[in-house]
Amino acid sequence: MNELLTGAITGILFGFVMQKAQVIRYDRQLGALCLKDMTIVKFMLSTIVVAMVGIYLLFDLGFVKLSIKPAIMGANVLGGLIFGIGWGIVGYCPATAMGALGEGRYDSVFALAGMILGAGIYAELFPVMKSTVLTWGDYGKITLPSVLGINHWIVIFVVTGVFIGLFWWFEKRKL
Amino acid sequence: MGIFQDKSWSPYTAGALAGLLLVLSVALTGKYFGASTTFVRAAGYIEQAVAPEKVSGMEYFLKEKVKIDWQFLFVVGVLFGAMGAARLSGEQRAVAVPPMWEARFGPSRAKRWIIAFVGGSVLMFGARLADG
Repeated sequence: MNELLTGAITGILFGFVMQKAQVIRYDRQLGALCLKDMTIVKFMLSTIVVAMVGIYLLFDLGFVKLSIKPAIMGANVLGGLIFGIGWGIVGYCPATAMGALGEGRYDSVFALAGMILGAGIYAELFPVMKSTVLTWGDYGKITLPSVLGINHWIVIFVVTGVFIGLFWWFEKRKL
Repeated sequence: MGIFQDKSWSPYTAGALAGLLLVLSVALTGKYFGASTTFVRAAGYIEQAVAPEKVSGMEYFLKEKVKIDWQFLFVVGVLFGAMGAARLSGEQRAVAVPPMWEARFGPSRAKRWIIAFVGGSVLMFGARLADG
């Protein structure tokens, strides 16, 4: 099937479930950052558990390829901190800003315009980043199982257990 | 149609469905979800309209080619999926300033919009640096 058509269908379905889970709202995103409303965390961790188990199962059977991004400490840590500051200010992440617009929350138009500007600024500064931050602590394409030297199902089992424990705690505290 | 008209689904159920969608996407088309590269391409298109020679020489736009691809349509699709879901439950309405923002910073639209613009640009710079 056409790549653009599958992209559109997948995006529509993803946008649909995100709206139903109410995770595309500023109030939910800020609620999570204030540790008062864990709705989006419940959503994300549930997605991770199902996708982690499903994709590794298919990977073991030889049906799919993994998409592992390089672990570059400088870029990941600095980029993560900058992303977090921006996220706390704007209250939408890139995909949820698009969803928020679909819901009628049109302050996201300005968020989206800012995101395009941020991407343009990064493109402008990429040559500088490439020779500095993007070289600091580059460990290449590593994963938790490869670093720990253990079978990936042990990691999946432990991560799933920790997530379920968190879910139990969220419900107990009514977060 | 009952469940499609519900105002909200459990975040666990909806999250599990999103996980299933990702598994199907990877299995059937080999595509993992992402959004931020699309913003690089959008910036590329805008810059191309103003200064095409400049864009063709920029290293980052050679790495992330300025084109409409799977992810671009995925990001556009999210807007329409959310719109459809909100319409089915009668929740689609124009909101200029988020309620929690208004309670803290007041009803000024200009203030919210400027801050959203600034926050969005900071967020995307960080996202691109971390390659997320």
